[in-house]
This record gives sequence, C-alpha cells and structure tokens, in this order.
Amino acid sequence: MKPRIIPGKELNGFIKGLMERAELYAPKERDTSPFPANPASDENPPALDAAEHSAGTPPVNGNREVSQFFRDTTEFRHITDPAQVNLDHLNTKLPLKELFLPRREVMFTFDTDTPERVEPVEAVAAERIVLGARPCDAAALEMFDRVFLDEATPDPYYRARREKTTIIGLACNEPGPACFCTAVGGSPHGSAALDLLLVDSGDRYLARPMTAKGEALVAHLPEATAPDIEKAAGLEQEARAAMKFTSDTAALQEKLKAGFDHKAWDEIALPCVNCGVCTYVCPTCHCFDVTDEESHGRGARIRTWDSCQFSLFTRHASGHNPRPTGRDRLRNRMMHKFRYFPAVHGTVLCVGCGRCIVECPSGIDLRETLTTLQEELE
Amino acid sequence: MPRPTAVEQQLRARARELLEKREVAGVLGFRAGTLPGTCVPFLATEPGDADRLVLNRDCAANLAAWLPRLRHRGRIAVVARGPDSRSIVNLVKENQVERDRLHIIGVADPDDTQPVRNPVVFDEFLGERAPDSPPDDYADIREFEALPPAERWQALLDELSRCIRCYACRQVCPNCYCPTCFVDASRPAWVGRTPDPSDNVLFHMVRAIHMAGRCVECGACAKACPIGIPLMIINRKVSLIVRDRFGSVPGTDPDAPLPLTAFDSEDREEFIR
Amino acid sequence: MMADTNPVPSTVSGDFEPRIVAFLCNWCSYAGADLAGISRIQYPPSIRVVRVPCSGRVDPFYILKALQQGADGVLVSGCHPGDCHYLTGNYVARRRFAVLHDLLGFFGIEPGRVSFSWVSAAEGERFAEVVREVTERVRALGPSNRLADARLTEKAERAG
Ligand code: SF4
Ligand code: SF4
Ligand code: SF4
Ligand code: SF4
Repeated sequence: MKPRIIPGKELNGFIKGLMERAELYAPKERDTSPFPANPASDENPPALDAAEHSAGTPPVNGNREVSQFFRDTTEFRHITDPAQVNLDHLNTKLPLKELFLPRREVMFTFDTDTPERVEPVEAVAAERIVLGARPCDAAALEMFDRVFLDEATPDPYYRARREKTTIIGLACNEPGPACFCTAVGGSPHGSAALDLLLVDSGDRYLARPMTAKGEALVAHLPEATAPDIEKAAGLEQEARAAMKFTSDTAALQEKLKAGFDHKAWDEIALPCVNCGVCTYVCPTCHCFDVTDEESHGRGARIRTWDSCQFSLFTRHASGHNPRPTGRDRLRNRMMHKFRYFPAVHGTVLCVGCGRCIVECPSGIDLRETLTTLQEELE
Repeated sequence: MPRPTAVEQQLRARARELLEKREVAGVLGFRAGTLPGTCVPFLATEPGDADRLVLNRDCAANLAAWLPRLRHRGRIAVVARGPDSRSIVNLVKENQVERDRLHIIGVADPDDTQPVRNPVVFDEFLGERAPDSPPDDYADIREFEALPPAERWQALLDELSRCIRCYACRQVCPNCYCPTCFVDASRPAWVGRTPDPSDNVLFHMVRAIHMAGRCVECGACAKACPIGIPLMIINRKVSLIVRDRFGSVPGTDPDAPLPLTAFDSEDREEFIR
Repeated sequence: MMADTNPVPSTVSGDFEPRIVAFLCNWCSYAGADLAGISRIQYPPSIRVVRVPCSGRVDPFYILKALQQGADGVLVSGCHPGDCHYLTGNYVARRRFAVLHDLLGFFGIEPGRVSFSWVSAAEGERFAEVVREVTERVRALGPSNRLADARLTEKAERAG
C-alpha cells in the first residue's frame, strides 16, 4: 500500500471527505464552562513557569495549574463541523476506548411484565471513522480484541463497534513528559490496530495506509516521495529518543510471581487512595459491571466501567472481601497489567500513554512503581 | 531539585530528630512527584527519609485523609497546614483519629488562595505565620446564584453529566471514611451504578449534604477530579449555608459541636410551613 | 451518546393531578392526617404517605430519591418544635432540611417541589390545608421535575 501526502497540511478538505463517508469522531474540546472564574486563581499565577513545559505539551496535571472553573477537556466526540476537530494536543483526557466500551452502555431493554422478552439495542448503527487516535490508544484496542473478540465468547456489542469503525491515527512527534510507549513495546509512530496513520511532517501530512479501508480514504491523494518517507523515519527516531524510560517487563513478570507478599507493596500503596482514576483513564483497562435499572415497569440492562481499585469490585454477597485493603487492590492492578495478562495473552496490559501518571490525584508514577518493583523484588 | 525553602529545611530537621529519637513511627508529609507540579503524600519512617519532605503549593492532598488509615502505625507526626488541621479537628470530633496519638507539626499553607492558611491546632509550629486571609465574601457563589434557576440547573447538570464516577473526589476527602458509601450500597441500591446524569446529580447533591458543617474547603476533591468538574462551587455553597444559618466555620473551633449534629431551638425556619 | 438519549416527549395535559410523596412522622403529622380523615375534611388525593417514626428519620436522600423516581413533589411533616416524641429529633432534622432547602434552590430545582411543615396530631384541618397548598403549588409547576427528567432510563421509558 502506497503512502500518500496531504499537501499544505490542508486537513479541512480531507475531514469534509471523511464526514461524507461516515460519522466522524475526533478529539474535540469541550465548550467553555458556564461557571464564573474562580476569583482567587486569576491573580495567582500557576506555581510553575509555563516555559518549563515543552512546546505542544498540555499543562501537566492541568487540575493543579489551570483555573478549575475553565478547564478544557479534549475528548473523542462526534464531529458535525470540521472546525471542531482539535489535533493540537498530546492526548485526549479520556482514552479512545470510550468509543468501543462506553462508560455507560444499554445492552437491551425490557418490560418487567414480560421479562422473557427483551428488546436488543443496536450497539452502533452507522459506519464510523475515528480521526486522530494516538498510536498508544489504538494499540490498546489490540489488547481489547484479545479479551472481547475471544473466539469462544466474542462480545457482540464490541465487535459491532470494531467492525464498523475505521481508525485514522496521528503519530506523535513530541511525546509528553509522562509518555513511555517504547518501554512497553510500542512506538510513537506505531500502526497497531490502525487503518491509516498520519504523520505531521511540518508542511504536509504523510498518510500511511495499513488496510484496504484506510487506503480507500487516501487513494485520491498524491503519492509520497522518498524524502517524505525518510523525513517521517527521522521524526520517529527523534520521538523515540525523547522517551528515556525503560523497563525489562519480561524480568518483572518473573519477579512478580514470587513477589506477591513483598513489603514493597506497602510503601508503593501508601499514597494511593484507591479511586478509579488510573483505571478509568487507562486505554487498556477494560473491566466492566452490568446492572439492571428499572423504573415504572421498564428496565434496561446496562454495562458500565468498573475498577479493581474499588472495594465493591471484589466484595462477595456474604460481605467477605478477598481484596480488603487498598494495598491489595493497587497490587492487583499492577499484577493484572504486568503478570496475569502477559501470562495469558503474551503482552503487558499497558501501552505507556501516561494518563494514569498525569491524572493520579496522589501523583503516583507508574514508571516509578515499575522501577521500585524491579529493584526491590527478587 | 529546587533549593529547599526555609520552612522545608526546618521541617526536614525536625522530622529527622523525631525519627531519630523514635518519638513517632513516621512523619506524614509530601515528597516531590515525578512530574512538575505534583507532590506525593509520603510517610517518612527513617531519619534518612526526612530530606525527601517538601512543602509547596502543589501539595494538593489533604493529609488528614491518611490519618484514619495510618492508625495502626502508632504515634504519627503530621505536617498540617490550615485545611489539614481543620480536618483533623473534625476527625477528632468524629472519633476517627485520636488526638493524643498525633504529633501535629503546624505550618502556614503556601497556597495563598486558602481561606484559612494557618493551622488551627498544632503541637509545634514551623516557619512564619501567614497573614490572615480577608474574610471570604463568597463572590463566586453569589455570582453564580445571580443566574436564573433554569440556567443554574442546566449549568450544573452539564458539568455533573461529565462525571465518570471514578470517586477520586470522595477518596481524597478526609470526610469520606464511611465503610460503605451510600453510592456503593447495594441492598437497596440507592444510586444507580452508571454515570447517568440524574444519578450523578444525586451523588453530588447528597455528598454535598454529607459535607455540610464538615467541608474545610481544602479543594483536594476538585484538584483530584480528572474531568475538571468545578466541585468547589457546590462545596463552597454548602459552607456558605452553614456559615449563614448556623454561624459555623468547620474545623476552626475544637470545642464546638459539629453543626449538623447540634441545633438551636431558635434556628431560622422560614422555609417551614 | 447512545441510543438512549432520545428527547423527552412533552406530557403536559390539562387535568394534571400531581403525585406527591409525603413523609409523615408517626406521632404528630400522621396522626394529624388520620384526624383529617376521621373528621371527613376534604383535601386533594395527591399525596402518597410514607409513615416514619420521626421527621429526624427523613434522610434528605429520600427526598431527592423520590424526585428522581418521578414524584412531582415531596412533603415532609413532623411535630412542632418542642413537641418531638424523641425530644430533639425535629430540631436536628430542621438543620438538615435547611441545608437541603438551600441547596435545592442553588441547583435551580423549583422551590415549590419540596415542602416542609409542622402539623400536630390535633391539627386535622391544618393538615388538609397544607396538602391543599402543596398540591396547588406543585400543580402550578407542572408534571415531573428536573431530577427525573435528567434520568436516561426515564427518557427511554417515555420515548419507548
Ligand atoms: S494509583 Fe492514583 S489514580 Fe490509581 S487508584 Fe491510586 S490514587 Fe487513584
Ligand atoms: S497503565 Fe497507565 S500508562 Fe499504561 S496504558 Fe494504562 S493509563 Fe496508560
Ligand atoms: S469536600 Fe471539602 S473537605 Fe472534602 S476534599 Fe473537598 S474541599 Fe476538602
Ligand atoms: S472525581 Fe470528578 S469524575 Fe470522579 S467521581 Fe468525582 S466528580 Fe466525578
């Protein structure tokens, strides 16, 4: 499949074309908050000099630095006007998984009078195109596939969403301070689970199709030249070099086998408050809960995100909880990502997007945790 | 690493001393996070840990929230700014921490937006006292209240609809120590488990009511929220209600009862027929 | 986001009879309601009574939950201050209700949706009057309320 060029970085026409083909989803900034600004925060500049952030990087832990009344959140949203697309950010607040495993999903509805009859809900009606997926977020979908498209019990809702969606990625040239995809087998220009990858190379986009679906979107565009491809390769090298963190995840998997009761977990878990942030913002975390909601004789079965950090996650009907403490729950998250999942599926359950690091209210850094475990576990 | 401030130096020296003399099992404070603008709650347990302690306005957590969980560790020293100390006052009243098992190291809050920066209770004080903040006029709340009701509802519904129910706001709050939160109750399930907008509003309204007379406006919840929901507009409204109706500023008077557990036979009841 | 965000069809009709959940304390207001009944005092059939041991038993959450589940209005009634069977239950409740009352207003939920009253066991006529008043207020506000309308399953139900 031939790489193409979108000249002049003129994305408008390209986006319009996508919108004609299918429902388009892309990072979109939320509208300005209706709340008045916090008077206090106006006069008080952020503690950090903005210059300390590399260009193009969103403010780290925005919640601490931006007036809390006007905090923009970029998320994947349905696009109705090309101007809404905002590719000028590192990563969306919530990961791409929302389009495949919504935080609240009605699976079917029913009447309590005729409980034997259920009315299915169609997961996704129209063809969808996603524009602007970061390679890490897309790579996470391959991990989702292992779980939800398992041959014996494929998930019809997930499958419908996957099949009806074409994904256009956007390569990272300037990884953020929390990014570490290279340490977990990814690349800032990675193409896993993508149909098409766009690389911003200054005055143009290089468009690299991976599938026939992706190719169809760019077949009308001029072919890329050898210097275009060389330039993109250079950009990838630079981006890779910007991420310093490494971790021997294979060795760690072995160490974790023996390290279940190691005292290191206590210290690691001390700052953790066991909220659901790290798991909800994680593109690879996929645990869900299913509940029936009923109102005046009409009911719905709803799937919703769940988190191993909640005590309710493992509490038995008897009241017994096999993971009673916060430490147990934090350990489970690490174990699932770096020991159990690799044992079953051959890959760690982390793509290095860094969201859990940026958003953790306690400032816990997964990279630091991995390093501590590497050092302290035998 | 930036040079330690004067109060950080004093704090480290004192922490080392307390740990060397084994007067406490640990000193609860903050260490620097890996990303700029972040601090991590940290329990120094060895004299050598003392130099990792930091104190700046990025220290977003309310350390009082850690105290009930550290009860089994024995006597603990805790670095307490204005809001931490106010929460400690509340937690002592609510029998969640024992005052005589705490050694409170008072410091002024480096965050000058705090309504109460100096600690209310402490066993020793380090550094300079912060100038008293001007009395809070709750201008943000009054500005919001000036909007017509339908607009207020729409604005709050829009904000709260975005809540993903990660419960970070609850988990970081020193007031939220219930073994089973009302949103987690399943027999019966009072609040829907899913982020339904109406369930989200229910969660936040009831949490706000549970905060009445207890919230110290530390802002930890709002800073923890990954979505950036302006939780302080709700919490501050509750504080304003409690101040106007019951004359109470939570956690500033160790001897006064919690306002919602007490009453005055003359309490205003203009809303009751 | 999903198939369940259909717009709510308007259900306003001419002869709207509000559904009002009334939390009545056992010792005063419930007895007052009883007296109104025995005395054959007329009041609108709009209330659904929930008998509680004391107004202090009414968690503000119950009130919000009733609204969310589609009550058009809520009435909470207990003993007059000083007359509480448990001595101080209604005093403590009064503070809680004050917070709820102010917070509801802040959220822009119409003030008339939730009402509070003190009605003693001897005040049958007063009880009927309170119910008439509350019913008229809620009737004027119209059916359903903001909390219920925001509910996705509610929307699905109305649409379906
Ligand atoms: S690691 Fe951070 S984000 Fe995750 S549960 Fe703990 S406190 Fe919350
Ligand atoms: S564990 Fe953290 S860094 Fe890894 S994929 Fe999840 S959110 Fe991203
Ligand atoms: S609710 Fe109040 S006390 Fe609790 S974290 Fe928020 S601001 Fe602090
Ligand atoms: S922290 Fe924010 S998103 Fe999470 S439950 Fe609280 S308000 Fe909702």
